[in-house]
Amino acid sequence: MDFEAKLLQLIFAGISTGAVYALIAVGFNVIFKSTDAINFSQGEWVMMGGLIAATAIGAGQMPLVIACIIAVLAVATIGGLSERLTVFPMRRPTPILITLITIGLAICTKSLVMLILGKLPVGYKPFTGETPIKIAGATIHPQSLWILGITAVFMVATHFFFERTTMGKAMRAAAADRQAAALVGISVRNSILISFVIAAAAGAIAGVIITPMTFMVYDNGTMLGFKGFSAAMLGGLGNLYGALVGGLTLGLLEALAGGYVSSQFKDAVAFLVLLLVLFARPAGILGQRDITRV
Amino acid sequence: MKLRTYAMRVLGATLLATSGTVPVKAQDITIGTILSTTGRAAFLGEDMKRGMEIAVEEINAKGGVLGKKIKWIFYDTESQSVKGVNAVKRLISQDKVAMVVGGGSMSGIALAVLPMTERAKVPFISTEGSMQIVNPVAKRPFTFKSTADDDQVVARALDYLKKKGVKKFALLHSTTGFGQSALAQTKKVAPQYDMTVVFEAFGPADTDLTPQLTRIKERGAQAVIIWTVTPAGVVALKQMQQLGMQKMYRLHSYGFVSQRYMKLAGDAAKDLLLVSVKFPVGDDLPDSDKAKKKILSLIAKYKNKYGREPNQFVAQTYDAIHLAVIAINKAKSSDSVNIRNALQSITGYDGASGTFNFSKKRHSGLSKNDLVLVKWEDGRFKLADY
Repeated sequence: MDFEAKLLQLIFAGISTGAVYALIAVGFNVIFKSTDAINFSQGEWVMMGGLIAATAIGAGQMPLVIACIIAVLAVATIGGLSERLTVFPMRRPTPILITLITIGLAICTKSLVMLILGKLPVGYKPFTGETPIKIAGATIHPQSLWILGITAVFMVATHFFFERTTMGKAMRAAAADRQAAALVGISVRNSILISFVIAAAAGAIAGVIITPMTFMVYDNGTMLGFKGFSAAMLGGLGNLYGALVGGLTLGLLEALAGGYVSSQFKDAVAFLVLLLVLFARPAGILGQRDITRV
Repeated sequence: MKLRTYAMRVLGATLLATSGTVPVKAQDITIGTILSTTGRAAFLGEDMKRGMEIAVEEINAKGGVLGKKIKWIFYDTESQSVKGVNAVKRLISQDKVAMVVGGGSMSGIALAVLPMTERAKVPFISTEGSMQIVNPVAKRPFTFKSTADDDQVVARALDYLKKKGVKKFALLHSTTGFGQSALAQTKKVAPQYDMTVVFEAFGPADTDLTPQLTRIKERGAQAVIIWTVTPAGVVALKQMQQLGMQKMYRLHSYGFVSQRYMKLAGDAAKDLLLVSVKFPVGDDLPDSDKAKKKILSLIAKYKNKYGREPNQFVAQTYDAIHLAVIAINKAKSSDSVNIRNALQSITGYDGASGTFNFSKKRHSGLSKNDLVLVKWEDGRFKLADY
């Protein structure tokens, strides 16, 4: 395999994993924006998306598209319900409390999924066949194109939601200054609910599109969540575009480290770079430091 | 009320003891077992436990051992080493077992409990995979194992590749204990076959193996041996297909002999070979194979009792109980040193996993002759290389 083909192959691999990391990172960012908390059940939502879709296709005999939509809607509902049942009843939801609660949510979700949907790995057919597409000596799986496409659409839609719709603007206002937003009549509580729903949907979409390529087991969520969290940190927590930049950077780093350095230390190399970036820019690549006027 | 019952009991006991007409009931021989029927390793533990149930029933139906029935005590270790340690403590101190058979369905648990059985000098037959369990023998004189060793699995795979003229192969292994053991053994075994190896690793939850596979392709390996028990093994197969590597010899280790994985891999499992014990292909074995009869009868008994097909894990525990009983019979007592010596002297025992030969120096009974290569075809495993 010549140099260009290998590099291209690794870049393809890096971008498609990176896109998934980016989707998961969006979930972290949206919830961080509205609550200042890190949502540790993000990875479990990814896992649930894949498992519910596979169950709907396998046991429910549903067509693929419908199964995937059902999975995303179901997980989004579960995300919203989780918020209403745990965060909402709290009198004063501080970030640290919400973070702790999401750890509990993650453990609960994982155990319930194991009990209800089982412990066996599942998968289903890729959206449009498995014949790899050849580009300049490298190959790309058709599902990778779906992953890239769906991630792009989701990113644009989220951007549109936050920039153009009243609800999105209200959420941004609530994120910027909770008290001021509440004073002008924005329901901060509802914006937290919506952020949970969006985050769960982002996770479920990630799960639904990667399961055909990588399969899904009930205990996959933790690692996926961890990678998504790293991507969010790398790009800058709370920054939507940071998720995209962070996700793609992390994916590419992993692929290139695996291809050129050592597969034993693939994750180690990726995380070492993450550390170095955070030393130099503690707020992440696109993150802005808090500026306090004295 | 309580006092009265107590008094009556004392009275009764005195009467019995003095009259001498009622024979003292021969004490049963107790064998203790720990396996994980819940938790992460539950998919192994369930069938492993049933294999033992069948063996104990068989033996007791034939009159037990040394004229006594086997009393079999089972604890679930829930895939956790801590639970395993507690259960073994109880087996040794409270239940006073003659032997411990089964080590929690996970090598990690077996390794965690064996210092206790060693200290108490209770013979322990592990039904788990890792070679470390029985090595070094000098430090573990009371520990035995009824499964194949990793170096033999590697050797079996390389025997085949040598036959096909392969000079350079890749080992694509997971970074877990299971995979690291393969790495260590391959480093030892490969030079004996005069082959060069490309080593590549992946995390058990990895979702993309393109970088590793690209490197393998680039280095010109003619064959790939994949070593994992997680779905990443399916990803490897699918991505090899995507990268046009399906013409290479592709082998999976015994950890991947699972219908579930084969179905998930679909087309990508075509021409794949798996190193396995003989159990999954019992039907295809030649009649001269000594394990064949045992395997078929075990499958029949299992189906009869539980109403479904067993998996290969049932054989290693079924054999372990039989080995324990043979040793007790040979030792003619439940004295632990005698049982240990008897276990060490078992040779040529034909079980459902193969022929067991133990010695003072080897506490692992199977050899690479007990391993075969199988392939997945028409929805079942078939014998590919005997």
